[in-house]
Amino acid sequence: MPEQEIVTREKQQVQGTEATRPGRYYVPDVDICEYRDKLMLWADMPGVSEKSVEVILKDNTLTLTGTVSPAAYNNLSPVYTEYNVGNYFRQFALNEDIDESRIQARMRNGVLEVELPKSEQAKPRKIEVQTT
Amino acid sequence: MALIRFDAFDPFRNLLSLQQELERFTRNPAFSLGPSGYGAYPPINVFEDQDGTVIVAELPGLDPGKIEIAGQGRTLTLRGERKREEGVNPSGYHRRERPFGEFSRSIQLSDDLDMSKATAKYESGVLMLKVPKAEAAKPRQITVNAG
Repeated sequence: MPEQEIVTREKQQVQGTEATRPGRYYVPDVDICEYRDKLMLWADMPGVSEKSVEVILKDNTLTLTGTVSPAAYNNLSPVYTEYNVGNYFRQFALNEDIDESRIQARMRNGVLEVELPKSEQAKPRKIEVQTT
Repeated sequence: MALIRFDAFDPFRNLLSLQQELERFTRNPAFSLGPSGYGAYPPINVFEDQDGTVIVAELPGLDPGKIEIAGQGRTLTLRGERKREEGVNPSGYHRRERPFGEFSRSIQLSDDLDMSKATAKYESGVLMLKVPKAEAAKPRQITVNAG
């Protein structure tokens, strides 16, 4: 029995600020999950290799940019299309206090994984409750 | 057949012209895919080149060894399952947008293609399937002999 079937959703173009270079930018689908000592982020960026992705954290704003290469489409002639291709762009304002020096990012099969460790003072501490 | 050709000196113009070409053939009604049309997962783009048909699908985060591609007659079927990363803390989600689950999509190809010679490549989450034309369907140059 299939556990769950994937439903197709149309890719969303980035609204608002326009890039200086012409062309479409798309919003990557993102999961963000919080752990005791870190935030984990995954972004779907099919067509983006580890060399063409950029992760920047500045002034508590996390910026993800992925660039696709049209080279694979050279000498092809489209006959029927259901989606368009483009670069990816997304920004997040981080509330958590992140230790920038320990951020790690990996790109695997078109999925960007970013590990954002919380800084020492932002980690939760358990306070012992004492009886008098 | 209008081929997409790129200018080696202007990569930005290249992406823009690719986007315009893809836009022009959006759900092209002149091309029939058979039973599974627009809306099925994964979305696909179909191209032609001098060797045959090229099908491209965006399938991020799959294990390449677990993508099942089967051809039977004129029908090509893509099947697989996308699984969430292991050890995710289900109560810790701030955002949960990425789709997970099983998929299966069948595409009807034209009958002048040779499914037994099809090749598939999975790179950076993009699957590219090439199905070459059958020998009999390839154009032949006929030499004119002076009598």
